[in-house]
Amino acid sequence: MISFQNVTVRYPLGNIALDSISFDIEDGEFVYLVGPSGAGKTSILRLLLNDIHLSEGSITVDNFEITTQKFKKATELRQKIGIVFQDFKILPESNIYENIALSMLVKGFDKSRIAKEIDDALRLTDIEDKKYLFPAQLSAGELQRVAIARAVVGDRSIILADEPTGNLDPKMTWEVMKIFKQLEKKKTIIFATHNTDIVNSMKRRVIVIKKGKLIKDKKKGGYEL
Amino acid sequence: MNDIVNSLRRTPYQTFAALSVLFFTLLLSGLLFISLAFLQGLLNYVETRPRVIVYFQVKAEDEQIQAVQKNIRNTNKTSEIKYVSKEEAFEIYKEFTENDPLLLEMTSAEILPASLEIDATKPEYLPELAEMLKNQPGVDEVQFQKDIIDNLLKLTSKVRKTTAIFFSYLMFMSIIVLTTTLSFKIALKREEIGILKLLGATNMYIRKPFIGESIFLGALATAFANIILIGTLISMNTFLQGYFAGIPNLTISLAGMPLQVWPFNLTFAIATLTVTSIFSLCITLISSFSATNRYL
Repeated sequence: MISFQNVTVRYPLGNIALDSISFDIEDGEFVYLVGPSGAGKTSILRLLLNDIHLSEGSITVDNFEITTQKFKKATELRQKIGIVFQDFKILPESNIYENIALSMLVKGFDKSRIAKEIDDALRLTDIEDKKYLFPAQLSAGELQRVAIARAVVGDRSIILADEPTGNLDPKMTWEVMKIFKQLEKKKTIIFATHNTDIVNSMKRRVIVIKKGKLIKDKKKGGYEL
Repeated sequence: MNDIVNSLRRTPYQTFAALSVLFFTLLLSGLLFISLAFLQGLLNYVETRPRVIVYFQVKAEDEQIQAVQKNIRNTNKTSEIKYVSKEEAFEIYKEFTENDPLLLEMTSAEILPASLEIDATKPEYLPELAEMLKNQPGVDEVQFQKDIIDNLLKLTSKVRKTTAIFFSYLMFMSIIVLTTTLSFKIALKREEIGILKLLGATNMYIRKPFIGESIFLGALATAFANIILIGTLISMNTFLQGYFAGIPNLTISLAGMPLQVWPFNLTFAIATLTVTSIFSLCITLISSFSATNRYL
């Protein structure tokens, strides 16, 4: 379970990125985080990764509690979370297998388990034949599938997706969304986007953020600002 | 191992610079260690042999010499007294000057002094015995090891201080060069480190390849330096045999264990390798930790 309680993020120069935001997300829930650019969507995701610090309030992720005090378990927290970025963040000098394996190597899994989970993830994302290719040999859509495969392996119960379809054409966007649909219920997914079509087509919970404030939180909503 | 070699091959100039600095540092450190070990061994050898040598005047009678020998023995502070006659002194002189016949031609047994080599039971008896001998009839000169020990102590102390300064300087320079080289490599991998951190990699996991790389360079430099050091010692063996003629062995105490320095042996070679390896490990660990610290 993820819980934000009156979370405020204030930058050193005084501008507010998030203003007293509160919401709860149950295990296995699929949540869209929508809002215009600069609304604070990425700040929420970065808070969950302990990549930025909150100024007020508290965040609970399962048994981890992040407060304004120095959080000392960032590594353990991050090992529960899979991340998918708009710009993929795939290492160019490693092949696809090595890129996905990173997610499990940092958690100390053994080689046979890594091999098995990677095979499953490649099947799920439909890029089994690209296993030993290098990122330069893949299309944008395929690279995003690699990023999703990397996010799902290694017992990661939460997936944070930050504009994962932002760099994809419509056809690839729907292919990627099909993969996310398959992951529903198995993982808690927070999907930050401003793609209206995606949000409206799937009718899942939508949290709307605008100028750092939570504007709406609808159980089966569409894209409305 | 393949990852380490590939990473080093991708940055050949930095690798060469780091390897060269490490090699020279370890070579000099090894040389200083060996010099100190020989000096300390010599000091230990001299300290464990409390000896006074008394040279008699050329015209001194045998009776005078025997009387001195008797007086000294009566003190009960000597363990052994060896008489070296003029003829024996000449034989020793002949051995020393066998390559210089001109010097030998100019000398005969008659102009060389007879002497007594007196071993004391304890080193603290040496000044007393020396003082007593000076006042004996027919005595020309008394030499005892206090002077030699004092000189050796002064020299060892100077070498130790110089070594400490050199060690510190070399270590500092090596750390700076290695840290800079590693920092350059880390900067190239900044994005990769960022991804690893977000995936939940521990700081140690991120550090490991850089530590491995610097330890590999250190091991390579240690191996090269020791090949040169041991090769030099083996090639100098004949010269050292002449230099340390009459000294059966030189021993020092290293970490509470006796270590034979001379004659040159495998244990001493392993000790030199161990000392340089520890030094190398310190340099590489400090460098890799300080370089990675900036990015973690």
